Amino acid sequence: MGSVLRRLLFFFQRNQFDRDLEDELRFHEEMKTHALADADGLSEDQARAAARRRIGNPLRLREQSREPWRFATVETFAQDVRHALRMMRRDPGFTVTALATLALGIGLNTAIFSVAYGVLWRPLPYPNPERLVIVQSSQQTGTGVRTFSTWSPVSYEGLRPRVTTLEDLAAYSSIDVQLTGRVEPLQVHALDVSPNFFATLGVNPARGRAFLSGAAAPDDDRAAIVSDRLWRSSLNADPTIVGRSISVDGVPRTLIGVLPPDFSFRPVVPRLGALPEADVFLPNRWSGDAGQSAFLWLLGRMRPGVTRERAEAELTALINDPSIVSAGALGTEGALAAGVRTRARVFGLQAYGTESVRALLLILLGAVSFVLLIACVNVANLQMARLSARRGELSVRMALGAGRSRIVRQLLTEAVVLSLLGAALGVMLALLAIDLTLPLVPQFVLPRVGGIVIDARVMAFCLGLSLVSTLLIGLVPALRLSAAGFGEGLALHGGDARTTGDHQGERLRTLLVAAQIAMTLVLLIGAGLLIHSFVRLTSLPTGFESNGRDGVLQIVRVTLPERLYDKPDRIHAFARDVLDRIQHLPGVKSASVINSVPFAMMFIQGDFQVEGLPKSTLNVGLPKIEAGYFKTMGIPLLAGREFTAGDTAAAPKVAIVSERVVREYFPGGPREALGRRVRLWGNSDWLSVVGVVADIRQRGLTQDVQPMIYAPFQQDHSGLVRFVAFVARTATPASAAEGIRTEIRRAAPELPIESTRTMDEAVAASLAQPRFRTVLVALFAIAATLIATCGLYGLMAYTVTQRRREIGVRMALGAGRGDVLRLVLTHALRIVVAGLIVGLAGAAGVTRVLQRFLFGVTPTDPIAFTIVTLLLMAVGLLAAWLPARRATRIDPWAALRAE
Amino acid sequence: MKEARTKSKNELLPGTLEMLILKTLSIESMHGYGIAQHIQMLSADVLTIEEGSLYPALQRMLAKRWVLAEWKTSANNRRARFYRLTTAGKRQLGVEESRFSEMFGAIMRVMKTT
Repeated sequence: MGSVLRRLLFFFQRNQFDRDLEDELRFHEEMKTHALADADGLSEDQARAAARRRIGNPLRLREQSREPWRFATVETFAQDVRHALRMMRRDPGFTVTALATLALGIGLNTAIFSVAYGVLWRPLPYPNPERLVIVQSSQQTGTGVRTFSTWSPVSYEGLRPRVTTLEDLAAYSSIDVQLTGRVEPLQVHALDVSPNFFATLGVNPARGRAFLSGAAAPDDDRAAIVSDRLWRSSLNADPTIVGRSISVDGVPRTLIGVLPPDFSFRPVVPRLGALPEADVFLPNRWSGDAGQSAFLWLLGRMRPGVTRERAEAELTALINDPSIVSAGALGTEGALAAGVRTRARVFGLQAYGTESVRALLLILLGAVSFVLLIACVNVANLQMARLSARRGELSVRMALGAGRSRIVRQLLTEAVVLSLLGAALGVMLALLAIDLTLPLVPQFVLPRVGGIVIDARVMAFCLGLSLVSTLLIGLVPALRLSAAGFGEGLALHGGDARTTGDHQGERLRTLLVAAQIAMTLVLLIGAGLLIHSFVRLTSLPTGFESNGRDGVLQIVRVTLPERLYDKPDRIHAFARDVLDRIQHLPGVKSASVINSVPFAMMFIQGDFQVEGLPKSTLNVGLPKIEAGYFKTMGIPLLAGREFTAGDTAAAPKVAIVSERVVREYFPGGPREALGRRVRLWGNSDWLSVVGVVADIRQRGLTQDVQPMIYAPFQQDHSGLVRFVAFVARTATPASAAEGIRTEIRRAAPELPIESTRTMDEAVAASLAQPRFRTVLVALFAIAATLIATCGLYGLMAYTVTQRRREIGVRMALGAGRGDVLRLVLTHALRIVVAGLIVGLAGAAGVTRVLQRFLFGVTPTDPIAFTIVTLLLMAVGLLAAWLPARRATRIDPWAALRAE
Repeated sequence: MKEARTKSKNELLPGTLEMLILKTLSIESMHGYGIAQHIQMLSADVLTIEEGSLYPALQRMLAKRWVLAEWKTSANNRRARFYRLTTAGKRQLGVEESRFSEMFGAIMRVMKTT
């Protein structure tokens, strides 16, 4: 410590030190002069000269005297840095290329990492977040595993007091409410939560208190907790707000707490994205709800030391006890089948819902690391080329005593400076890229998008990257320098050291360029596979006409809350009422209703049975539709008839099946199906088949065609028709949408409208994820290609310069322009082909990771492989073209004479 | 006068120069020229300390706090930097002396064998 202080002090007193030393030496000189004059009888001038000679080099003396007072390493480092910057300024071509390459590589990596970190790994803002879990159930069916994400209040109340592996089990459900009374009516996102919700999370409001359960606070049923955001924006950040009344959905509630500003609860719903931030939290015990409707999400906190397996085991035992959880509980995925063993599934809160995104992001990280690697190799190659050019100068310096280690240190410093500058530029690039592209990415492609920022951890990652690149860039030239061969073969003919070959260096650079080409090929093939797959996806027929002669399909979706629409009759009435008015809207050619519209995130399926045949092993979709649905959607009728207004609740129960069902069960064709009877899960009613329609892609382009059994909306009593989607064919979608919304609001003023969009938009949205990853990987592949092409160009240019004499000789001996061209291009081709072969082998192994993202395309798709390989070969030849042309321009006599 | 120079400080065993300076200063505090003269005189001109070695060595010892420096007026009324031994320096002198004797004794034992 003292030594550091000492050196710091010296730093500020340097001048004084120099003056003191000078005085001291002058004194010494005086004394010596007199001594010599006296002793040897010299004149004063002679004596002084002799004295000066004896004392020696004052500069060296000063240097050595300073030694114990300096930060030796720091100062040499500073010196090296200044030298490096000087060298970079002197060679702008190299500097710009190197910095641009590095910025691209490091920037892309930082951007992708910050996305991955924000979405997957950033710690959630609760204590011990790794113990928070989402509880679901699943059942094994004939065709696979069906997962149920939600629970009924009855099941929740049955589980909560009995579970021991969980400290706490809370429930929540996402709703939309209106704030009335205090301020202008405001639509906000809210969560209905069980009273122990905040206790389970481990969060306390910043003001007021959390909910209490049971006897502790019987009035809490009329309480509410708001977010900090809402408090500031709509409640004027009133510090006395706790205890006052606010009106929610027309019901007065006491505001008992305001949450801390950094509170956030956004669990990810699979395929939907993260839940929007809720601003109001209402306590609910759902005690009045004895229904089977399962709409609650369960959130638990495991006890310390409990593993997920143990929790799952205990919960499985509990939910299979019929006194605790009744079978037949309904959710958006259908009902728990009775008599089938149900398994509890416990997922970590952070990872839940992010599985597909995780795979994608990890693949992107891998791809982008390739780009960085290629970039580093390029810069290393450029460095080596510069080194080769400076061989003469460096050898002379070493001969004069510079010391190999000193020069190696200097090279490493150059690499450090280059990398740090490249990293700084890269971070700026990453910030730009994120700011520009993230707003364009839909929620369900990248959940938790709001949590993606470039913060300290991401910067640390960036710094780590620059360190790695430093090593890669600096090590190779430094090792070259330390190798024995450096400086040898240095023929100082006229000082032009370049014309003597640096064979080892050239071999190494060739190897590196070939490696670059191999890696670029892997990336390009990946991109090619994804592009091919995407093209196939977009050309798949949906089965319906989203854009036809009479216009497009406009869809407006609502969900009817159970508390207002508890009887199926009320739901039917609502749908009928609105539909009748919609059909008369101007611009609407035809309209209908369905509960699970295609390409939406919701899908209801279940088992069924054909009369006379054993129970099906197929899962069918079970949409409920109004009359005119198929006509509106443009789905062809293959046999029989559509539903009509005559298929009311009182009429005989009917059904329409899809082509796929016919193929499986009625080998005689659609006609055979007409008149047969089918029965749906859990239902005792037999339905008569009155029609057969063509298959459609209900669940999206990436899924297989689903068999469907349609039933009339008006004949459903299961409550599945709570989800209502109005579908209208219109040439004026915007005005039709407005018209539909008006009618809905007229029929049900408080009903929030879930979504309004055309079918084209829905289909495009379903392609958003594939498009996203295809575009990204393609971008990386293009970046890599650019960098690798630069690398190849640089190498060929260097080679041509090196072999000037050889080419001159050939030309003098009669070789024509074409021969020279062929010579250079063949050389380039050899390198490219070597790289391609290695790349092909690598790609064949690596592309397997893309399997889950490929549709109709194998990981070794020959089309993609062939096209990409030929493309890269052409690009490589193009890169070698300019140097080759320059070679043909060599004047043979000038080249020979230069030696 | 015969002058057997010490060619460079590499010829002396490491630390010997510091030891000689410390010993000199233990007798009396003096300036750099004086130290060089003292050693040269006492060693009958066998040991001549190069200025290029002396002053860096003095700075090293200053850095390690074995000596302290002060500007004073010299015998012939000139301003000069005088060095004086500290307690730590005295202790170091003892250390150097014993180390040197040990080394010297070992060398002599090797040389004495016939």
